[in-house]
Amino acid sequence: MSKKTSYLILAPGLVLLLFFLILPLITIIWPTFYNGGITFDAYLSFFQDTYNVNILYRTIKISLMVTFVSIIFGVPTAYFIANSPKKWRGLLMSLTLFPLLTNSVVRSFAWINILGRNGIINSLLLATGLISEPITLLYTEFAIIIGSFYLFLPVMIISLVGTFENIDTEIMEAAETLGANRLMAFIKVILPLSIPGIIVGSILVFTGTLTAYTTPQLLGGNRNMMMSTFLYQNAMALGDWQSASVIALIMIVTTMLVMKGFNVLASRLDKRGEEYA
Amino acid sequence: MRKQRGLSIFVLLVFIFLCLPLIIVTVTAFGENPSIQFPIEGFTFDWFKKVFEISSFIDSFFLSLQISFLATILALAVGVPAAYALARYRTPKTAWLKSFFLSPTVIPGVVVGYALFQFIVVQLNLPIYQGLLLGHFLISLPYVIRVVGSSLEQLDFSIEEVAWTLGCTKVKAFIRVVLPNITSGIFASFMLAFINSFNNIPVSQFLSGPGVSTLPTTLMNYIEYNYDPTVSALSVLLMLGTIVLMYLIEKTLGLASVA
Amino acid sequence: MSFVDLEDIRVSYDGKNNILKDLNLSIEEGQLVSLLGPSGCGKTTTLRVIAGLIEPNDGAFKVEGANLTKVPVHKRNFGMVFQSYALFPHLTIKENVGFGLKLRKEPKDIIHKKVMEMLEVTGLADFADRYPKQLSGGQRQRVALARALVIEPKLLLLDEPLSNLDAKLRINMRLEIKKIQQRLGITSVFVTHDQEECFSISDKVAVMNQGVIEQFDSPEVIYNYPKTEFVARFIGFENFFDLTLVDDQTYAAPDGSLFKTKRAWESTKKVGTIRPEDITLLEEQSEQTVNTLPGEVKVRTFLGKSYQYEVETPLGKILVQDGHSTAYAAGDKVSLYIPEEKLILV
Repeated sequence: MSKKTSYLILAPGLVLLLFFLILPLITIIWPTFYNGGITFDAYLSFFQDTYNVNILYRTIKISLMVTFVSIIFGVPTAYFIANSPKKWRGLLMSLTLFPLLTNSVVRSFAWINILGRNGIINSLLLATGLISEPITLLYTEFAIIIGSFYLFLPVMIISLVGTFENIDTEIMEAAETLGANRLMAFIKVILPLSIPGIIVGSILVFTGTLTAYTTPQLLGGNRNMMMSTFLYQNAMALGDWQSASVIALIMIVTTMLVMKGFNVLASRLDKRGEEYA
Repeated sequence: MRKQRGLSIFVLLVFIFLCLPLIIVTVTAFGENPSIQFPIEGFTFDWFKKVFEISSFIDSFFLSLQISFLATILALAVGVPAAYALARYRTPKTAWLKSFFLSPTVIPGVVVGYALFQFIVVQLNLPIYQGLLLGHFLISLPYVIRVVGSSLEQLDFSIEEVAWTLGCTKVKAFIRVVLPNITSGIFASFMLAFINSFNNIPVSQFLSGPGVSTLPTTLMNYIEYNYDPTVSALSVLLMLGTIVLMYLIEKTLGLASVA
Repeated sequence: MSFVDLEDIRVSYDGKNNILKDLNLSIEEGQLVSLLGPSGCGKTTTLRVIAGLIEPNDGAFKVEGANLTKVPVHKRNFGMVFQSYALFPHLTIKENVGFGLKLRKEPKDIIHKKVMEMLEVTGLADFADRYPKQLSGGQRQRVALARALVIEPKLLLLDEPLSNLDAKLRINMRLEIKKIQQRLGITSVFVTHDQEECFSISDKVAVMNQGVIEQFDSPEVIYNYPKTEFVARFIGFENFFDLTLVDDQTYAAPDGSLFKTKRAWESTKKVGTIRPEDITLLEEQSEQTVNTLPGEVKVRTFLGKSYQYEVETPLGKILVQDGHSTAYAAGDKVSLYIPEEKLILV
């Protein structure tokens, strides 16, 4: 295939992307830097407002927590699935995949039912007499965390199942014959070898939580905004394009920095694998 | 392998955690009380009836189908040849080009929606429908590039070369020899992109207007003002749809290729 | 009581089909015992029962009289070399070999000393700081061996350790393994499907078939005196035909031909067999004497140092390997001489 032909074939896609992704992005971001001359004022004033910084901080904090908890719960589950007999594996994978393919509105709605003032948790606690007044679980950071965790745990599990499947079972057995019990063999041998997979899963979960809209909107409300809902509010409710664009760029940069950061972490851990011996 | 009691119990709890919320939603769809309750009192299909009576649900459902279908087809039309070009003609730039085609995944959905809204609706003054379609196209394209791309990587291109020696033109060879061998990749990416587009909210939120609103957006707006089992009923219907799709995928491709 | 005892071991995965049934094996201290057999015969399963990777449904596994059947893998202190070597990709060679010692919480300087010594012995000292992916197949195999031996195990278990190596390397490595085994005096169990490999290094061989040990003897005994048809076939005997006892040491074949043999185990055995290379081809004889068969050459194949003939006889097709200078051609009528010291009954 000649260079000319390949570019000809790639042209439609390239043009569409350039015109309808890159160009729009430039049109919204450029004004944030230009006000007669190149200026960073828009960003400086964004970071000077503690309200804004809190939202950014909250977004990153929640994303980190969700990622961390996903790893804790995802690693053992994925390991279990990867080592299950074939007939179980299909079922378990389907059960993991099903929530992923279900609309996030439905999934977040499910948690409204559970966390609401008339929801299941409150009903149970009231019925057993442990509390006398319903506690506020909805529209809190906790609600966003658990909603996001519910959303992204399957992502982590599925990422990791592939990784665990690729690790030779004989390696685990070799470790056992050398004196490691199951847990030790897992920690000293399997875990270090699964770091790349954990990193990939973490990138997906972190950036997913960082940029998700539905869950923060339905479970966090206006009292606990994340960057995504903040952007929407500024753009559609307040008509403040400037602020919205500033938020947009900050989100893009944050996402890219995080991905880069994780990738750097991954390559470092790969070389210095012995750290985990 | 010898069973590990602790691990099994742990995993069981995880799966209960994953399934329980959706089961609860399903149960609440059948309660008679106009507000959502669990456990339910009574049993009725009324809420399901109501779903079909609300015109905005019906309209937005068809709109979603239309948009997702068109966007995915467009993504295939553009993406399959592009993936082919990327796989066949390798240069130092190829990796960069591939990342460029995958760039919509790096941009947060809300930003894509917002940017398109600004550019297409506000600046170019085009109808929202076009913006919606383009937005969904943008988020579907990466699936095609990635999934079809990996199918192509596993393809032995000697079969194409043999076709040429036997007299096929390049275009004919592509259609007759390459395409049939990547159908599973094409189908898989279609399903993935379609489902993802249908379920998408961030992009659709920005690109909705009177009469133009995808089902997830309509549902989300409905929840903000009405908290009743109609939502549960619609949720159940959507989950049923997902199950049907999963069954279809399993029968044709095997879910393993999608996960 | 021997050093290692497997008593009435039964292993079944689904409750219906037994992979191993009533398996009994006794191994003396310091011996290298091989489990030999085709794929699926249960030799790897037996090894894994010894290792503790499989718990038998019935039966007992004892070492020096102590019942270890329920003892988990990591407490048994048996060194194991896997077919794929199973080296830890994320650790250096030195760390791989030292893994077991580190788990046993030995002091760092002792670990270093033992590991370096073992690396010297196995010729790997130069590779101490490399990673498995930088080593060749043969080198990786030695690492796996070093790692298993450095923990001073009670037993050394080897699961087809040489299968992934090329022919010349296999021959060198098997001698290395034998030398090390003898020097350390470590009781070893070796699984293989390669007969020559097995015979060259084993003190005793257990020939297995479908979950059963058909014969457990020294290589010489198995080679010369196979006890069952399966074992005979496995080690190269061909040409099986029924024989009935006529009188003291004389047997009759279905066509009436008479054979004497000095190697009948029990007179109840009724199948005669002989190696193709032990049969002599003679010119057609007018009279049939004891231990001969008339026949016609059907196919001749040139093997290099000898010819292989398929000869049609009254007892069916007989395979003969003859290194004689006289080459017979297809269609020739010949006589097959089956010496009584080479004919064996199974």
